[in-house]
Amino acid sequence: MKPHLTNQAAGKGDLTDPKLAKTAEAEAIERAKQGDEAAFEVLYNLHKRRVYSLCLRMVSNPAQAEDLAQEAFLQLFRKVGTFRGESAFSTWLHRMTVNVVLMNLRKKGLPVVSLEETIETDEESPKKELGGPDLKLAGSLDRLQLQRAIEKLPPGYKTIFVLHDVEGFEHNEIATMVGCSIGNSKSQLHKARLKLRDYLKFMRAEKAEKQ
Amino acid sequence: MTCSEVQRVLPEMMDGAPNNELQAHLEKCPACSDLVAELELISIEAHQLVESNEPSPRVWLAIAAELRSEGLIRDPEAKPGRPVLVPTERRRWNAWWLVPVAAALLVAASYVGMRKPATQIAEKPAVVAPANAPDLAAQSNQQKPAPQVAETKRPVPIDRSLDEPSVSAPVQVVSTEDRQFLDDVGQRSPRMKAEFESQLRAVNSYIRDAEAYLKQNPGDEDARQHVMAAYEQKAMLYQMALNHIQ
Repeated sequence: MKPHLTNQAAGKGDLTDPKLAKTAEAEAIERAKQGDEAAFEVLYNLHKRRVYSLCLRMVSNPAQAEDLAQEAFLQLFRKVGTFRGESAFSTWLHRMTVNVVLMNLRKKGLPVVSLEETIETDEESPKKELGGPDLKLAGSLDRLQLQRAIEKLPPGYKTIFVLHDVEGFEHNEIATMVGCSIGNSKSQLHKARLKLRDYLKFMRAEKAEKQ
Repeated sequence: MTCSEVQRVLPEMMDGAPNNELQAHLEKCPACSDLVAELELISIEAHQLVESNEPSPRVWLAIAAELRSEGLIRDPEAKPGRPVLVPTERRRWNAWWLVPVAAALLVAASYVGMRKPATQIAEKPAVVAPANAPDLAAQSNQQKPAPQVAETKRPVPIDRSLDEPSVSAPVQVVSTEDRQFLDDVGQRSPRMKAEFESQLRAVNSYIRDAEAYLKQNPGDEDARQHVMAAYEQKAMLYQMALNHIQ
């Protein structure tokens, strides 16, 4: 008998209460260890959006992001029997997802840390952008534009920005995962934000021109 | 602290503890203050994107299939040998549900053809219509006219869909064709039926949302892509179901 582990119970938006979601997750983990398909699906539904979104933002290609999300979940489910609950399941999954994505980027020869780091000079300083009152990003940002701007970031900047600002990892965690120094992570994050600011202002100006 | 000093220390200070010197400078320098405010805004908004995308149903289906093949899923309903539950004779009578399959595949394919560069198509996972799907669809058309296909699925030719209000006509959560198809799947396995029903509901919601969004943003290329992706997903779902059943 498995009264709680239905598709309806989790992952379809019904479990908005974090406590309920946690309980369903804990129960699903135990059942998944027994090979219960519904439990695997509950775990998948609970985390699919975040895992897929992370992959999509890192690789900017929906089909590839789905393959990576699939690989991350498979790796996780193969190891679910070893999960002892010392850390949060979501942390475990998201670290695994990041590793899968980074491994994929490395395989393709794409830099996980930006190569621009070593060659950028003060010419790229944001100072030249200051004082343009017409282009201020005051108020709120258009999320679609922000998504597009993130897609345009160079791979290295994108990795650090997504991990820190979107996913909420700390610089020390990023440094370990990506294989760079904490200072490097901070510096690249800053440059990524500056680039995004430039892109967004450009998009805003372009939109204003069209109108 | 000067503006150039701010530039230098900002990467370290942005997410760190408050710094009195920096604060003092920001209070009297609108340029630096704007810069910091905008970078903070980007950072805050970025975090709202954390769960904004939904993978297509194929991901779970592929994961479940892989877990099954690796023996990680122990399905109490599983029987050795996977008997063919839909005999040929019976399938011929029930071939009507290939109509929506073909319709969805045609819509997806024509939309891909019209809107996507060839390179992008190559990047997508193969969504191949079964070789006999159009024939079977035609055959079933002869056996049983299915005008409701166009009515309920609304696979409006996409080039027209941008101009016509009909594009936003609601897609039922599970349409009549979907229901009949699900019943056929259910004859093979109730578990499989439940799985596909859940995926169909998700993909139909996606179609509905994507069409509504396209109506609101008719000039938005992303919105068009979403509609296309939504129908592709449905086509893919039907294709996967076919693969399971056949």
